[in-house]
Amino acid sequence: MRISFDLNGVSQHVDVEPGEPLISLLRRLGMKSVKEGCDTGDCGACTVLLDGRAVRSCLMVAPQVQGRRVLTVEGLGTVDDLHPLQRAFLQSGAVQCGFCTPGMVLVAYELLLRTDDPTADEVREAISGNLCRCTGYVKIVDAVLLAARWKREGRWR
Amino acid sequence: MCLQRIRRFHFARDPEEALSLLDAYGGRGALLAGGVDLLRMPPRTVEGLIDITRIGLSYVWGAQGGLVIGATTTLTDVLLSREAAVYAGGILAEVLRQVAVPPLRNMATLGGAVVSAHPWADIPTALVALGAEARWRGEKEGRAPLEELYRGAFRGLFRTALLTEIVLPPWDGAFAYAKIGRSQYDIALLNACCGVGIADGTVVWARVAVGARPWRGERLPWAEEALVGRKTNPALWDEVARLVENRIEVGDDRRASGAWRRKVAGVLVRRALAQAAERAAR
Repeated sequence: MRISFDLNGVSQHVDVEPGEPLISLLRRLGMKSVKEGCDTGDCGACTVLLDGRAVRSCLMVAPQVQGRRVLTVEGLGTVDDLHPLQRAFLQSGAVQCGFCTPGMVLVAYELLLRTDDPTADEVREAISGNLCRCTGYVKIVDAVLLAARWKREGRWR
Repeated sequence: MCLQRIRRFHFARDPEEALSLLDAYGGRGALLAGGVDLLRMPPRTVEGLIDITRIGLSYVWGAQGGLVIGATTTLTDVLLSREAAVYAGGILAEVLRQVAVPPLRNMATLGGAVVSAHPWADIPTALVALGAEARWRGEKEGRAPLEELYRGAFRGLFRTALLTEIVLPPWDGAFAYAKIGRSQYDIALLNACCGVGIADGTVVWARVAVGARPWRGERLPWAEEALVGRKTNPALWDEVARLVENRIEVGDDRRASGAWRRKVAGVLVRRALAQAAERAAR
């Protein structure tokens, strides 16, 4: 079947199988930041934003995004022009192996769309569904709070 | 996900079309809303998915102190709604903050939680305590208290019917929820939802439900009777906690023993009652 949706601001018209997992479609379209970890919705590595809300792309089939907006970190910033939230992750030492990072960035981005002054507890809740086996989470919380401060200071583009 | 057997995907335009498609598949189709349960463990027989997220069943309405919630409303939308925030002392927000993690709450729907009704789930325990009524459409329209449905063959019903909304009655008092899991967002090892109405320092009504025993949440009418007409004070919560510990039916599973659940049930009921009474007195 053919579906149309917005991927990182670009209209897509693609043929999909009715049971094709969304994660497979996104990776097929080159969004390699979307990682398959547990395939059961538990680890958060496959997180994307759907109409501005974080969802698990491993627990969705591709047709479900018909007519909707999908955001991956490829749509947030580029290697040459990182989003301030991504710069905050780098500056805070919140990136180690990197496998969980795209999902972490996106759940943090969703939080910071709602508020630019989150508490540390709110940040912890926002990232609570995303597993990181490297950092111990402290640096990730620091990064999100730093990005929030930059947002309040008008340093987000 | 093992979805190779899925041959067709449909967007239903309204409840009638969803039911018509479901009927046409004759047991080989499934209604899809949040998909958190369905797509994690799709039944082997399912060949067609019928998306019901665009048929107008996502809403939260306040209705004379009660609430009407559409079946495809996500848990996040319930959590963020102003109507739900003020209902019965804010009980829904308190429960939903302890259900899964934010991205799964963005996907999962209240109707999905009601129909899946996992024994360890938080939502059925709370909805049974709150006296929720389920409304559905199938061959004909139907409505029944959720408590009653859960005692019967509700799984058979929702194989051919479409849950449309959950109706919560008004309560002049407050509720509170207590849960123990391995972490805040983990499934419950045991949960309890209690509500009380208080007039002149006396309990005028009480609701006590305990779930994950390891069975689905049920009310404990004898615990409620022990509360009504009594003066509110910590000694009463202790007394009811002991009663629960002595009388509740619990069982073993691989997550916890029955003996542990028996002990903890009293503790959770005491905590929830004390919290509900404090809220009701405000």
